[in-house]
Amino acid sequence: MPFDPVAPLFPLFVDLPFEQGYVRSIMYVSLYVSVTAVALSTLFSIPVALLMGFTEFPGKQFVKSVINTGMGFPSVVVGLLVLFAVSNQGPLGAMNLIFTKEAMIISQFVLATPPITAISLAAITGVDENVRDAARALGGTRLDVALVVIKEARYGIATAVLAGFGRAISEVGSVLIVGGNITSADGISKTRTLTTAIQLEARQGQYDTAMVLGAVLVVLVLTVNAIVVRFGDEGSMNR
Amino acid sequence: MIRLSNVSQSYGEEQVVDDVSLSVQPGEVVGIIGPSGVGKTTLLRILALFLDPDEGRVELDGEAVWAVDEDERLALRRQVGMVFQEASLFDATVARNVEYGLRVRQDWDERLRDQLRGLVGGTEPAAAVEDALKIVGLHDKLDQAADSLSGGEAQRVSFARALAYEPDYLLLDEPTSDLDPRNTGLIEDAVAEARDRGIGVVVATHDMHQAERVADRVGVLLGDGFTEIGPTETIFEHPTDERTRKFISGELVY
Repeated sequence: MPFDPVAPLFPLFVDLPFEQGYVRSIMYVSLYVSVTAVALSTLFSIPVALLMGFTEFPGKQFVKSVINTGMGFPSVVVGLLVLFAVSNQGPLGAMNLIFTKEAMIISQFVLATPPITAISLAAITGVDENVRDAARALGGTRLDVALVVIKEARYGIATAVLAGFGRAISEVGSVLIVGGNITSADGISKTRTLTTAIQLEARQGQYDTAMVLGAVLVVLVLTVNAIVVRFGDEGSMNR
Repeated sequence: MIRLSNVSQSYGEEQVVDDVSLSVQPGEVVGIIGPSGVGKTTLLRILALFLDPDEGRVELDGEAVWAVDEDERLALRRQVGMVFQEASLFDATVARNVEYGLRVRQDWDERLRDQLRGLVGGTEPAAAVEDALKIVGLHDKLDQAADSLSGGEAQRVSFARALAYEPDYLLLDEPTSDLDPRNTGLIEDAVAEARDRGIGVVVATHDMHQAERVADRVGVLLGDGFTEIGPTETIFEHPTDERTRKFISGELVY
């Protein structure tokens, strides 16, 4: 029998108020969408932060204000814009992304990128200039210097990734709009996430299910935080 | 030989280095003395091939440094090491710091292999790493975290870090200005050891006694190029330039 992550969480529930498959599939969708979006966003954000931190280019202040504005950008508006983009008439219409996990990843990416970039940028510019000079003086190429900076800023970058993940996994409005909160006929989540499921269950008066989903969400966030923090510590032990 | 010919550099209005010529041979120690803010650091950055000066020519072993492409310049730059006034160690162990210069000279699959080896069971530091740390008397601190060192130890590690990959030239920018006499002495001993190994060393310092102790030749920088440059003894005992004489006797105060 395959490992069931949900069952051991609720040994006291004799009669579960929901299908385990339902919760499992929701967890899967939530994690899949958020982790993918945050991973892509991190790959995009760190080079941008390095570029912004160490080079001068025209329009840099403008890019900075766009990023800062993006941190507070209403997520429902992002959802709406992504919905237009992926709808049949939109620029990505041909890809048939509407009400799919991929569309949700796009909107999560848009939401997670500003905080990840801004916090990484703060961490990266906080790295002592002398340390960069030292790496260069010791024969480092530009890439080597960038790697040193990332390593020195790793705690700040871990914080940035966690902030982005926090924003993505707890997001309701935009994933509801672009994902549609859909389950298939057999009750397995297609685009339903923990947050949108909680919202739906609560509205339908299924408070116990909503509470359980809420608990699962909190445990998930705590677990991911613990893993990332642990990862950062490992890095500091084994440098 | 590193050779600067009529090099000038200014930042905005301010002329920081004005028409300086200087050559550094392997196996000699050149001291550059002068008050703070006279352009010693800028001069070292030009010598380190960090900075393309506004005017003048920079040659390393006959190669015009700023005329070649970036890859060639990297190869030239890698013959020169630099130690800064602040130790600026990486947030890692002493061994990792000292082997950095060796690591960046490896190709990428070698580096990856070393990383993986480090993950499974740790790696022995290269002989050059231990050797460099021996010169500064810290070979028993290999596995210590850099941020647990005292200021003097950190600066000595920083020196070892620049020695480990055996550069042909080593530039020191006020290497002991924050250090106590004991650590200062250890650094000065390490300078002598580097010279004995055939490394050309440049020490920029505002401490003229240090220059007198370690340098074979001394250049006096008082604002507009060297007022005088020559063998240490000549500069200190029989300076020909009036300003040099006043600076060395302490009459000329900045």
